[in-house]
Amino acid sequence: MGRPQPGAPEPVTRRRLLGFATVAAIAATVAMLGGALRPSAGDDAVAAAPVPGGETLPTGDTAALVAALQSRLRSSGANADGYVLLGLAYQQRARETGDPTYYPRSGRALRQALLLRPQDAVALGGLGSLALSRHRFREALTLGRQALALAPSNARSLGVVGDALLELGRYDDAFHTFDSMAGLKPSVASYARVSYARELLGRPAAAVAAMRLALDAAADQPEATAWAHVQLGKLYWSAGKLASAAREFRAALAAFPGYAYAFDGLAQVYAARGRLAAAVALESQAVDAIPLPQFVSQLGDLYRAQGRAAAGARQDALIGVIQRLLAANGVTTDLETALFDVDHGIGLRHALALARAARAARPSIDGDDVLAWALARNGLCRAASTYSKRALRLGTRDALKLFHRGMIERCLGDRAAGDAFLRRALALNPHFSIRWAPVARKALR
Amino acid sequence: MLAVLGRRNVAVIGLALVGAALALLMLRLGPGPSSAKAASHREAPLISNDPAADITDFFMFRSTEPGQGDKVELIMDVIPGEEPSAGPNYYNFDPSVAYRFHVDNNKDGTADDVEFEVRFTNEIRGVVNDAGLPLSYVALPPITSLDGQGLGLRQHYTVTMIKNGRRTELGPVTEKIAVPSNVGPRTMPDYDGLAAQGMYTLGGGVRVFAGQRDDPFFIDLGAAFDTLNLRSPGTDMLSGFNVNTIALEVPASLLTKDAKAPDATSQPKLGAYASTSRPHVTIRGLEGRHSYFRGGDTSRGQFVQIQRLANPLVNELIIGTKDKDFWNSLDPDQESLFLDYYRNPRLGLALFLVFGAPVPPTPRTDLENALLKYSPTDRGYSELLRLDVSSAPGASWPNGRKPMDDVTDTAIHVVGGPAYAGAGDGVGANDKVLPSTFPFEAPPWDGRNRVHQNP
Repeated sequence: MGRPQPGAPEPVTRRRLLGFATVAAIAATVAMLGGALRPSAGDDAVAAAPVPGGETLPTGDTAALVAALQSRLRSSGANADGYVLLGLAYQQRARETGDPTYYPRSGRALRQALLLRPQDAVALGGLGSLALSRHRFREALTLGRQALALAPSNARSLGVVGDALLELGRYDDAFHTFDSMAGLKPSVASYARVSYARELLGRPAAAVAAMRLALDAAADQPEATAWAHVQLGKLYWSAGKLASAAREFRAALAAFPGYAYAFDGLAQVYAARGRLAAAVALESQAVDAIPLPQFVSQLGDLYRAQGRAAAGARQDALIGVIQRLLAANGVTTDLETALFDVDHGIGLRHALALARAARAARPSIDGDDVLAWALARNGLCRAASTYSKRALRLGTRDALKLFHRGMIERCLGDRAAGDAFLRRALALNPHFSIRWAPVARKALR
Repeated sequence: MLAVLGRRNVAVIGLALVGAALALLMLRLGPGPSSAKAASHREAPLISNDPAADITDFFMFRSTEPGQGDKVELIMDVIPGEEPSAGPNYYNFDPSVAYRFHVDNNKDGTADDVEFEVRFTNEIRGVVNDAGLPLSYVALPPITSLDGQGLGLRQHYTVTMIKNGRRTELGPVTEKIAVPSNVGPRTMPDYDGLAAQGMYTLGGGVRVFAGQRDDPFFIDLGAAFDTLNLRSPGTDMLSGFNVNTIALEVPASLLTKDAKAPDATSQPKLGAYASTSRPHVTIRGLEGRHSYFRGGDTSRGQFVQIQRLANPLVNELIIGTKDKDFWNSLDPDQESLFLDYYRNPRLGLALFLVFGAPVPPTPRTDLENALLKYSPTDRGYSELLRLDVSSAPGASWPNGRKPMDDVTDTAIHVVGGPAYAGAGDGVGANDKVLPSTFPFEAPPWDGRNRVHQNP
């Protein structure tokens, strides 16, 4: 039975239409979506959907969704909507697994979508968030602004632009953007950014207040809830409040069992309490779940604190492998690599060159701090002092940055000023670094 | 049915279905168990759902309960797709959300003439608190009253009327407690009895209920997902899922401009919408949650509207993705900013593409008249659910809206025009029988014995 050609009017009978209204509604929705997800769904939508009535949907997990989208694209040909969804689904897979090979795949899919529909704000925003994940912040800023030009009042695009500005050290612009985002749409996403900005400005209590609002807004979303708990835990940790930090990390695990970031946070709490074996076990669980460089690095330091130098060295070697894998997939890790090398005394001159390049690409207070530390460890304390001051220019209460500043002042011969910074670092958090807190304490003796 | 559509068309819209399935699932079912293992460390999420502030439906109608015809019901449902068995926390209203109803009674399109605000606070208590149990509810002993020791989490709430700039807490101020999620027969052996305790009669003929109910919306999406394996009758895909409901019953005289009853008022036309808002924070501001929730000011300026809902499916099917954040943050009387979505609705285009039957030509002034105006001669545009309270009880959307109204079919009829008068999705009623008495939505599925199937 043939279907009449579009445009050939014919009465529509109930029989023909029975059930089709749903299809129309769905088809219309996708048309309305501009090829992707509703704004308040997004990545989470890709990741999650319950299965009503036991019917298997391709949305039960992201891996299945990726497979379904790929097969649809093969069977029905090039389609901008499909490529946008696929591109976002790949990014979600990267978040879930820590596997960076999903990044180039996401980029290819999103660029394919833009070939088919050049002015797609969702695809541009997706490329922007991809650039953020790869620490390519200038690229992210450009893409985010393009998306924003197409949809000026879109919270997601504001987030991409604000995040990029922040990492580029343009704090006034970034904070303005985050304020716009929070004024447009209070949510986990916007409250979390307000919280981070307050933390950077040295207002930890206000940062906690905003993160608690984020936690409320994350209700019924296990991963977002766990994420907010972990951020709260880190805020408490930064202020040396171990018990409160541990409570938040445990709450994260209760909300979302197996959450790697919560294991990592708890490991630091246990290490601070001198329970190194438990800390190693917890950090190993984090590494097993997602082998992120910062987890592996922390595990190496924990092994060394236990006196297990060989085990620590194995972790260090693993980091090199992970960083090469990240680099091969377009992720810039210069800043992290430079800090790791400087901290571990590996190729200090090369590490300094790396830190200079990283700071140029990422002139944030973190870029300033790592460059300062790299300069200091190379004996260039005068130059280091300039960058260390810049790193603290927002008034951030960051024990590690204060420690760096203190050591640099001492290197310049101003012992009183240096010790004052070391005391501030230890007063904030006596356990701020398993590697450097003991050094600070020793220096003050 | 597949033969009717033709294979090529199935292929063309197949991909759309996957995306749309995702989208509509998210609209109606919320996030559910996330498969995501982790987000990146500093990378805050860029997008998130907000089920506690996500309004699935808004209803306004003249009471159909015998002897209550002078009352108007204002009902909002939030938290899409509650899986009844989702312990240990189940589903709660959010103390940081302001849940509001807004009513326009002078036809100026601005729904600020009478407003009601419902706010919740949490109380951790009872044996759960004493024993430090990681559970919200426990049968120690079985919970048969809202004072039960096993209710480890209780949500208290207030109802405030805002009229002429004056805030009045509707009283007498008794302890109002939200009815908890239906955990199961051992923990809550007489759930209906428990829920009945959560229906409060306030002064002046006002009744209120806040708590869990069966999701009254019905639609057949499952058949569409199965490669358009459509059927008659269809299956309600929302069968077996719950929502959280705030139902407010007020005398119509509290709403009408001349404070008269439905049959006596000279201005019987009301417009209304429901909204959710969260506190507005700024980076350098001094706001903390305490200033908001410990007797703090909750005036409009300090909150940002996250979602608004008047007519069903407008947010889902009319407003384009890129404008949804903006649209939701604005009051409905700003709708002239979004007129193009109404005049050239993509739902109409989709109907035409899928079925080939003609829809009314664009620009569609019929849609804007139906959704944005009291009468075609109105100068302003405001997207409100409109009710003529002088109509007999039982009127259906778009004259008000009751939980039993089949809005999917009606939306298709409205958008599709005369050629689609017989169209529908094959699901004409909810999975549970909807009560004709307050609060007009059926008891929720219980966590132990829930099923997801046709009745």
